[in-house]
Amino acid sequence: MKSILITIAALAMTLPFIAQNEAFMASDYAGDLRARHIGPALMSGRISDIEGHPTNSQIIWVGTAGGGVWKSGDGGLTFIPVFDEYCQSIGAVALDPADPDNNVWVGTGEVWTRNSVSIGDGIYNSKDGGKSWKNMGLEKTDRISSIKIHPKNSSVIYVGALGALWGNSPHRGVYKTVDGGKSWEKILFVNETTGCSELIMDPQNPDILYAAFWEFRRTAYSFSSGGTNSGLYKSTDGGKTWAKIHNGFPEGKFGRIAVAVAPSNGNILYSVIEAENDKQKGLYRSDDAGKSWKFMNGDFGLVVRPFYFSRITIDPKNPDIVVKAGLFGSLSRDGGKSFGSLGSMHADIHDIWFDPNDSQKMFVATDGGVYRSMNMGSTLQMVECLPVSQFYHVSVDNRDPYYVYGGLQDNNSWFGPSSSPGGVEARDWELVGQGDGFRVYPHPTKPQIVYSEMQGAETVWRYDTETRQIKVVKPFAADGDPKLRFNWNAAMTTSLHQPDRLYIGSQFLHLSNDMGNTWTKISPDLTTNDKTKQNQADSGGLSADNSGAENHCTIFTIAESPKNEKTIWIGTDDGLVQLTTDGGKTWANVTANIIGLPANTWCYHIEASRFNESTAYAIFDGHTRNDYNPYIYKTTDFGKTWTSIATPEIKTFVRSFQEDITNPDLLFAGSEMGLYISLNGGKNWSKFTNKMPAVAIHYLEMHPKTHDLIAATHGRGIIILDNADLLSEMKPELLQKQVHFFKSEPTIMSEKTSFGGTSTEHQFVGSNPSDNAQIIYFLPKRHTFGKMTMELFDAKGNYVTKLEPGKQKGINVVEWGFSTRSPKSAKGKTLSGASLFSPRAEAGKYKVRLTKGSDVFEHEFEIQYDPKSPFTLSERQTQQKVTRQLYDSSEDLAYLVYQIDTYDEAVEAYTKTHPKAGKHIGLLNSKLDNLRDQLVVTKGDNYVGQGEPKLREKLGDIFSTIGSYYGAPSTSQLSTVQTLTSELERRKTEFDKIKTVEIKKFEADLNKEKLPAVNIKSKEEFLKPE
Amino acid sequence: MKTIITTALLTFLTVMSYAQTADQIINECQEALGGKNWDKINGMKMSTVIEQGGMQMPMEIVSMRDGRTYSKITIQGMEIIQGAFDGEVVWSTNFMTQKPEKAETDDLENTKRAAKEFPNPLANYKELGYTATLEGQEDVDGVKCHKIKLDKKTHLVEGKEVPNIEYHFIDTDSKALIMTEMEIPSGEMKGMMMQTKFSDYQEVDGVMMPFSNSYGIKGEESQSITFQKIEMNPPVDAEIFKYKGE
Repeated sequence: MKSILITIAALAMTLPFIAQNEAFMASDYAGDLRARHIGPALMSGRISDIEGHPTNSQIIWVGTAGGGVWKSGDGGLTFIPVFDEYCQSIGAVALDPADPDNNVWVGTGEVWTRNSVSIGDGIYNSKDGGKSWKNMGLEKTDRISSIKIHPKNSSVIYVGALGALWGNSPHRGVYKTVDGGKSWEKILFVNETTGCSELIMDPQNPDILYAAFWEFRRTAYSFSSGGTNSGLYKSTDGGKTWAKIHNGFPEGKFGRIAVAVAPSNGNILYSVIEAENDKQKGLYRSDDAGKSWKFMNGDFGLVVRPFYFSRITIDPKNPDIVVKAGLFGSLSRDGGKSFGSLGSMHADIHDIWFDPNDSQKMFVATDGGVYRSMNMGSTLQMVECLPVSQFYHVSVDNRDPYYVYGGLQDNNSWFGPSSSPGGVEARDWELVGQGDGFRVYPHPTKPQIVYSEMQGAETVWRYDTETRQIKVVKPFAADGDPKLRFNWNAAMTTSLHQPDRLYIGSQFLHLSNDMGNTWTKISPDLTTNDKTKQNQADSGGLSADNSGAENHCTIFTIAESPKNEKTIWIGTDDGLVQLTTDGGKTWANVTANIIGLPANTWCYHIEASRFNESTAYAIFDGHTRNDYNPYIYKTTDFGKTWTSIATPEIKTFVRSFQEDITNPDLLFAGSEMGLYISLNGGKNWSKFTNKMPAVAIHYLEMHPKTHDLIAATHGRGIIILDNADLLSEMKPELLQKQVHFFKSEPTIMSEKTSFGGTSTEHQFVGSNPSDNAQIIYFLPKRHTFGKMTMELFDAKGNYVTKLEPGKQKGINVVEWGFSTRSPKSAKGKTLSGASLFSPRAEAGKYKVRLTKGSDVFEHEFEIQYDPKSPFTLSERQTQQKVTRQLYDSSEDLAYLVYQIDTYDEAVEAYTKTHPKAGKHIGLLNSKLDNLRDQLVVTKGDNYVGQGEPKLREKLGDIFSTIGSYYGAPSTSQLSTVQTLTSELERRKTEFDKIKTVEIKKFEADLNKEKLPAVNIKSKEEFLKPE
Repeated sequence: MKTIITTALLTFLTVMSYAQTADQIINECQEALGGKNWDKINGMKMSTVIEQGGMQMPMEIVSMRDGRTYSKITIQGMEIIQGAFDGEVVWSTNFMTQKPEKAETDDLENTKRAAKEFPNPLANYKELGYTATLEGQEDVDGVKCHKIKLDKKTHLVEGKEVPNIEYHFIDTDSKALIMTEMEIPSGEMKGMMMQTKFSDYQEVDGVMMPFSNSYGIKGEESQSITFQKIEMNPPVDAEIFKYKGE
């Protein structure tokens, strides 16, 4: 016991120390601060794997290249993301055949190993159909190609791990668990350069396994597929022993091998071989479970780009129907003898899934999303709700709302609005480039001009979006210059100082001051110009693959100082940082000053500080050298010295960075698995996860006016953190306060109205930012016990409305849509929605009162009219005056109807007890009924059976029509107001007459019989809020 | 030194508390919410005035121990009943015709099955045949909570029996119920998690009631209702529960 106490005491003593040193992390207190996604989904993004439920065709799972895992519960019409907290690069999804509703496995790390492919962090398991996940190890495998679950024993699972792409690794091969993932045994390993690219299981005998092994390697400047270690293995004893099954395969080296076994016949196998000899590349078939193979077909569609398309799917019922992934996808109905193309869809097919219950239903994974077919791929329809677009970059303009510009992997270049009526829809996006899209920039002052580029700057366009003129403005090598080397994702940027200026980086920095018409080279070769890294023509290995994706020794980032146009920072893909402070006359290589940075680490981004010309941040990405450490360096002396501001809190490599516009201590870093925020200039970082998936962020931008942080994600489209600047106020001192209200700029009451959007139910629609007034406050801990209320008052202290306050720890955002209290409206048989119209608040100062237990906190904020409004103050005042008049009329009418109803009820009660009451009682009853009939609808329903509109409905209509407009009422509307208010006066007079005659008599009757008088509330009492 | 030992013991006890079972945690939660005092309560009425877009709408929700329930909203003097259950029929007022209409069979069956969950599904989960499992601890709005998975067997969704799982999040410190979570079983939001969060706990007749409930999809914005008044064993007119459509 004593030793336990000592241990506990020691533990207890360390606790305060930890608490004192624990940094104040943005993520712990983010609360209501959440990102919003605007997609787009119209071109979707690369899908890596599709898996369906074996018996319930409603359930379909999709693994994506960079956008996580999505699940459909309605047969593929709509999908929801179910893996946002985890690595978004997916290799394989597998459902347990014994419990497919619940037991799901996800292997991370895409296996279609293009240059931009991301990394994985192991295998995950969900026991509840995707609601929650647990990492089950294999963290270092990088890429999981296959997961096979024993159909009769859910604890036995085989995993094919392709492994590291960018370096040697022992963490690859075939792994097996017999305890549901608690422990793993590597049961087949070839060597550190060769991984398992496909693992399949015999449909009848789960002890029979086939494993394709692939020798492969990427560097930043080369790709190699194939070698003597690639091969196809078979085990018949649950992975204890393996043997190569190459009888009938071609001689020589192999590259990537695709393999599939027919679900309906375990003896029939198909394999597509990347062979050394082009003539022997193609589809092979075995009818004896791999003992022998026969060459069937070497069509282009089968052998094209094996690293990208090595997947075969066989019809669940007919072993002769075979589909091969490929550029367009190929389908054979004769056992592989001949192939035709699948129907039209986005190119680059990676996976195909047949509904096991109906082979006509087919789902296809492409570079441009998921396609579904009802006729076995003859015609296909795109799934339009998967916003898994892979942006390389984003820029913004100064419109209101601002637009975002960016290019996508295999999906062109685009721009679209950051908000739009009804949400950001597919129709809002405009195409401004072809091929793979990368950096897209609006002209700083001519909003109709957009610059865009395609891969390797093969073309750089200047596009006039008004005249629809496209001009190619790519710089060419000058006479005597070497061939220009442009990165796949070629550096390009506009200037913060000269609107017509454009920079483009090859190995040289090119500058144009006339929007790309004339180019000047303003630097020498700023790269290492290492010739050994410039042999892209030989790239690809057994299949030549010189797409430009491996171009190297190029400029990758250009950062012009916001403080001085002559100070320009350059970062290269081969790891150099170069600086000019004289507009390119002289250059200094400052790389050697960066202590601790491994040589030749790709400089992915340089952020020239807005606060100081001598300050910059350089971000290096080592992943193409198999180095996943984050590298963020800061200099404050023009690169003479650098300090690392990346901490171990950042768990993986970083590509992008943003310095806040107003607070130099507020920093954002985009990692390969999510967004990190530092509140203290990089001393500490925390991961921001509120609606921000663990997605690769290739670029970050902050809007200069709205201070929104805009993330170009490589897998989840554009994600925006509205008003990220708010985080500037997040300081440890807030923890000492009971409540802290954040400062707020006056809110503009937008006058933009619309008839909404046009998207259908199964299309993705991006969310808009709030256009309400936001009351934002910080609670150091959640409010759980006791009352907490919020009330809103105008500048004069008049109560406006109550609001529902948030209670969570950290940031709480309460929205107010400028509505004031609706008038009390008359009761009728049916509803009159227009009568419940709430007049918009007038511009001015307002105050919220937050009551928390017995403590009261107040906060003032301001709302303003839209300065862009076409209406004058006097027009507004007319509108407000008439609206108030109609408000009062509505309440007058409500009070009138209330009196009528109350007397009528009293008369009815009296009549029941006095069946022989005098004629005047009957007359009173009928007069009240007749009058009410003129005032409100007394019959019908709330739809097409509604009665003819009466005074309440007419008054309500004109009240809401005038009240919802921003300018003065029209002449015709004013005339209607006059007519209706006169009628109201007449009806009031009518009622007064009834009161003086019939009601007076009735009251006399009551009095005579000593019955209680009819109790009519005063108008003030009647109008009192509930 | 004494302080250190006290702190150490507290830490030790906290560590020990990890070994708690779901049942113990549920019992502590129910105890914190009023324990035996709930036995005296056969019904409750929660009322407030909702203010939305300037409109004021009085609302009341009545739940009885025998499963009868209704929600009533009053707009322009018209009373609209939603989600009423009289023991036999689940019904709501059709907004267009203002007439009562029966809910579909799934809703009726599921309401009948849940009728004995008073005052909450954890209170008598064992008698109802439900199974509770502790699934670890999670942060809810900055509060460290025990996550209890409550397996309520099955419910009917689109005519089929499907698992009926709820998650209950109980403050490890105060033992108050902070949140419940369940999967939306059908429709466009199928598969998303619906969350109800509870706050503003105050004592009413010896039991603790959350006066504020907030509803929303996990990770998205939520809508809150704060009740002005909660009455226990309120006088209620039995007629209001009854379906009078046919």
